[in-house]
Amino acid sequence: MQKWKRFAFGFVLATIGLTAVAGAQEYTSLPRKETLIVENPEGTIKNPGWFNIWVNGGGGVSTGLQQLTMDTLWYIDPEQGLGGAAWDNSLAADKPQYNADFTEMTVKLRKGLYWSDGVEFTADDVVYTVKTQMDHPGMVWSAAFTVQVASVEATDPQTVVFKLKKPNSRFHAIFTVRWNGAWIMPKHVFEKVEDPLRYDFANPVSLGAYKLKSYDPQGQWYTWEKREDWQRTSLARFGEPGPKYVTYVDPGPPDKRTIAQLEHNLDIIHDNTPEGMFTLKEKSKTVETWFPGFPFAHPDPTLPAVIFNTQNPPFDKADVRWALALLIDIKAVDMASYRGAATLSALGVPPTAATMKDYQAPMQDWLKDFEIDTGKRKIKPYDPTIGQQIADILRKQPKFKDQIPTDPQAISDAFGYGWWKPDPQAATELLEKAGFKKTGGKWMTPDGQPFRIRMTVEGDTRSVFTRAGTLIAQQWAAFGIDAKAVPAAKLWQTALQPGDFEVAIAWSVETWGGDPDLSFFLESWHSQFVAKKGENQPPRNWQRWSNPELDKIIESIRAIGPEDPKGMELGKEYLKLVAREMPTIPLMSYNVFTSMDTTYWTGYPTIKDPYTDPVPNWANSRLMMVKLKPAQPQ
Amino acid sequence: MTSYLIFVLKRFGQFLLVVFLGVTITFFVTHLTPIDPVEESIGAITQMGQSDPNAIELMRKSLRELYGLEGSIWQQYLNFWLRLATGDLGPSLSAFPTPVSTIILRSLPWTIGLMTVSTLITFVLGNAIGALAGYYRKNMVLKGVSLVFIALLPIPYYILAFVLLIVFGYLWPVLPITGGYEMNANLDLSFALVLDILEHSILPALSLILVGAGSWLIGMRALVSNIITDDYVTFAELGGVPKNKILRSYIARNAMVPQFTGLAMSLGAIFNGTVITEIVFGYPGIGNLLIEAVHAGDYSLVLGLSALSIVGVAAAVFIIDVLSPLIDPRIKVE
Repeated sequence: MQKWKRFAFGFVLATIGLTAVAGAQEYTSLPRKETLIVENPEGTIKNPGWFNIWVNGGGGVSTGLQQLTMDTLWYIDPEQGLGGAAWDNSLAADKPQYNADFTEMTVKLRKGLYWSDGVEFTADDVVYTVKTQMDHPGMVWSAAFTVQVASVEATDPQTVVFKLKKPNSRFHAIFTVRWNGAWIMPKHVFEKVEDPLRYDFANPVSLGAYKLKSYDPQGQWYTWEKREDWQRTSLARFGEPGPKYVTYVDPGPPDKRTIAQLEHNLDIIHDNTPEGMFTLKEKSKTVETWFPGFPFAHPDPTLPAVIFNTQNPPFDKADVRWALALLIDIKAVDMASYRGAATLSALGVPPTAATMKDYQAPMQDWLKDFEIDTGKRKIKPYDPTIGQQIADILRKQPKFKDQIPTDPQAISDAFGYGWWKPDPQAATELLEKAGFKKTGGKWMTPDGQPFRIRMTVEGDTRSVFTRAGTLIAQQWAAFGIDAKAVPAAKLWQTALQPGDFEVAIAWSVETWGGDPDLSFFLESWHSQFVAKKGENQPPRNWQRWSNPELDKIIESIRAIGPEDPKGMELGKEYLKLVAREMPTIPLMSYNVFTSMDTTYWTGYPTIKDPYTDPVPNWANSRLMMVKLKPAQPQ
Repeated sequence: MTSYLIFVLKRFGQFLLVVFLGVTITFFVTHLTPIDPVEESIGAITQMGQSDPNAIELMRKSLRELYGLEGSIWQQYLNFWLRLATGDLGPSLSAFPTPVSTIILRSLPWTIGLMTVSTLITFVLGNAIGALAGYYRKNMVLKGVSLVFIALLPIPYYILAFVLLIVFGYLWPVLPITGGYEMNANLDLSFALVLDILEHSILPALSLILVGAGSWLIGMRALVSNIITDDYVTFAELGGVPKNKILRSYIARNAMVPQFTGLAMSLGAIFNGTVITEIVFGYPGIGNLLIEAVHAGDYSLVLGLSALSIVGVAAAVFIIDVLSPLIDPRIKVE
C-alpha cells in the first residue's frame, strides 16, 4: 500500500509541476512591445519550410511572405493608399507605358533598391522572372506569361520592354497587387538552382522591408524581422516600419482568437464571426475596428450574391431571376447572416468606399427611376431606404444602440443605400409571364413540373453565407416553390466550376476595390470564355451568363486604357445591364471582421483614416507597417 | 518445425494479399472522389488573382502532366505500384514537389508518441483495475471505479474530447488546448520542451484513455472471474498463498495472454491516427494531415497515409499470428 501512496503523491506533484510550467510560459519570447502579432488565416501550414511562392508547393503565402518580403511593379490598394492614391508605383518608377495598339508595355524601374542579401534589384530580375516561369510550366504565373508574352528584354538596368502576343490594355494587371501579384524572383539566387520548380527557397531572400527570422517547423507561426537596410526597399518611401518583429500565427478557431485578443496576445484578428466581433466590442476597451460602430467590419472588394446557373432553364430567363429577387426580404437575410453588420448592394459591384463614391452614390437616381415590366404593369422595385431601415432596427437593440450612426450619409456608408423591396405580387406576375402556374399552393414550371430549386451553400466553412442562403431558400419555399439549401463541400471546385448547381450563394464579382476600373473581373465575363454545359468554367463567370450587350461593353473596355474616364461610363452601362437582366442577385459586401488591438500598437487603418485594407493577409497590408507606432514607451 | 515454417509462409502470403488489396481499394476510392488535385491547385492559383481563361486552361494541362495524372486510371495504378516497389511514395500533389514521405515523417512522430503512450496507459490502467475488480469483487472502491470507466465506455471519444476542452480549456484553464507544444517554444531538445510536449498531450491523451480503459477493464475482469474458479487458484488459496501473489502470478499472468494480443492489434492501429482527437486539439499528427489531404484531393498523400496504416495493422496481425504458437502452448500449428 505504501507503494501506491508514493505513486499517487508523485502523480499529484507531477501534475502541479506541469501546471506551473503552463503558467510560466510566455505567449512569445520576443519583446512584446516590438512585436506585432497577426492572425494568418491559412492556419497551420502543411509544408512550413516551403517559401518558393512561384510554385504552389503547400507553403504559406499569408505567413508574412507575400506581405513583408515580396515586391512587384505596382499595387492598387482596395482603399485609398498611402501615397494619396490607391495606385502605387512600387518597384516601377512610373505607371506602365503602352504603345498605341497595346501590344507593347514598357516599364521604368526604381533605382537604389536592394535584395536583403545586398544584391541590387535590376531589370534583369524582372526579365528572369518572366522567362523562367515561361520555361517551367507549372510555376504559378507560367501559363499567364506564356499565353500573353511574345518577348521580354531589359534595354537598360532600369527598363523592361514586354512585347505581347496580342493587344492587351491590362497586361500590367499581372504585375499589380490587389491581394497578390506576379512577384519578382531574385535572379542571383534562382539561376544557381538546378530546377526552380523543385526549389524550396529556404532562407528566402527578401525584397521587402522585412526578412525571415524564424518559423515553427510544424507551421504554426512565422516571425519576420525588420531589415537593417529597410531604407533600400520600395516601402521606405512612406517611412520606417514600426514593428521590429512581425509574427503571423495560427491562433485557432474564432473563440480562441477572441480570447487571445482579449488577453492582448493577438494584435490583429484577420476575420472573426459576427458574434465574436460583438463580444470583443463589448468586452474590450482596446479593440479598434474599421467602422467604429456597426457594422464594424471591412467590406472586401468582392460581392456575395445569389448566383444562377443561367445555362439551365428556368434560370436562363430574366423574368424568373427577377421574380426570385423580389421574393427576398433582404433585411431578414442581413439579420440572419451578419446579424445586421453588412453593407448592402443592389448593384453588381461591391460597396467598397471607392465604389460607393464612383458608382453606388451617383446611380441612386437611376435606381429610383428604374422600372421592370411584370407583363401586367411596370413597377419601380428599388427601395432607397433599406439601409436606413436596418439602422433603425439595430438601434432598438440595447447593446449597440449607441454605435449605430445617425447621419444619413454615414448610414449609407455603413449599411448601404437601398435594395429591392419584397413584392410577392410582382413576383407572381413575372412567373406567370414566364409561363409558370400556381397549383394547390405550389408553383409549377411551364412544362408542368414542380418548380424546384436547390440553393447550394458552403456549409460551416462559410457559415455567414450558409445562413443567408438557407433563409433565402426558406423565403422562396414560403412562396410555394420547392426550395431548400444544400451544402456542398468545396463549393467552388465541386459545384461552381463544373456548373453542377442550380443556384448558389457565392461571388463572381471581384474588383480592384480602390479603383473604378471593372476590368479585373469583367474581362472573364466575355461570352468567348463561357464553357459548354458539363465542362469546367474558368473563373469568374460562374453564372455562365452571356449577353451581346455585355460583350460590347467588355470589348470597349479592352480598347481603352485603365485610366480613360470612359471606363467609368462603361462600368455604369454594365451595372444598368445586370440590374435589368439580374444574372446574379447582388446581396451585400463580403464583410471581414478584422479587429485590431491598440494595447501595443496604434495607427491601424479605419474608415476615418482609410489608408489601406486592414485585412492582414492582403499584400497591401505592408502599408500598415509604416503607420503602426508603439502604444507604450520602449 | 517444417509445419511452422509453412504456416509462417502462408501467413506472410496472406499479409501481402491484405496489403495489396487494401492499397488497391484505397487507390481507386481516392481516384473516384469528386475532388481533383489539379483543380485544387488551379483554385489556389486563381486566388492569387489570375483569371485569364486561356492561361487557366494551359495551367490545367501543365499541372496534369506535372502531377502524373495523365493517361488512364490503370496506367496511373501501374505507375503507382512501380514507384511504390522502389519505396517511393511520390510527391505530394497539394505540396508539390515535396515528397509524401517528408510530409508524413513530419507528422508521424506526434501521432506515434500520443497514441503509443495513451494506448499503453489505457492498457495498463484498464487491465490493472479489471484484474483487481475481478479478484476483489466485493470491494466498493473498485466497484465504483469500474462503474465510472464502464459508464465512460459508450461515450464517443470526440465528445469526451470536447468536454475536456471546455472544462480544462475554458472553465478551469490550466492545460493547453491546442497544438503539440507552446507557440514560439525553443525547439532545442530540453527538459522544458519535453515537459511542454507532455503537457500539450495530456488532454488529447486523456480523451483516449478515459474512454479506452473501459474495454480493457471489462475484458480483464471477465477473464479473471473465469480463472479464479479454476482448481489451481482454489488450491493456492487453500494452501495459504498470499492473495497478492495469487492475483499477480496465478491469475493476472494467465489472463494477460489474450490481452497482449489485443495490445499488439492496438499498437498496429496507431498508424491510423486518431483523426477527430487531433482535429479537436489541433494536434500536429497524421490524423490532421489525412483530413487536409482528403480535402485537397491529394491522392498521393492519402495513399501514403493509408498504405502506412494498412501495413501497420496487417503487420501487427501477422506478428501476433506467427508468435502466438511460440508463446501459448495451447495453440498448435497444423
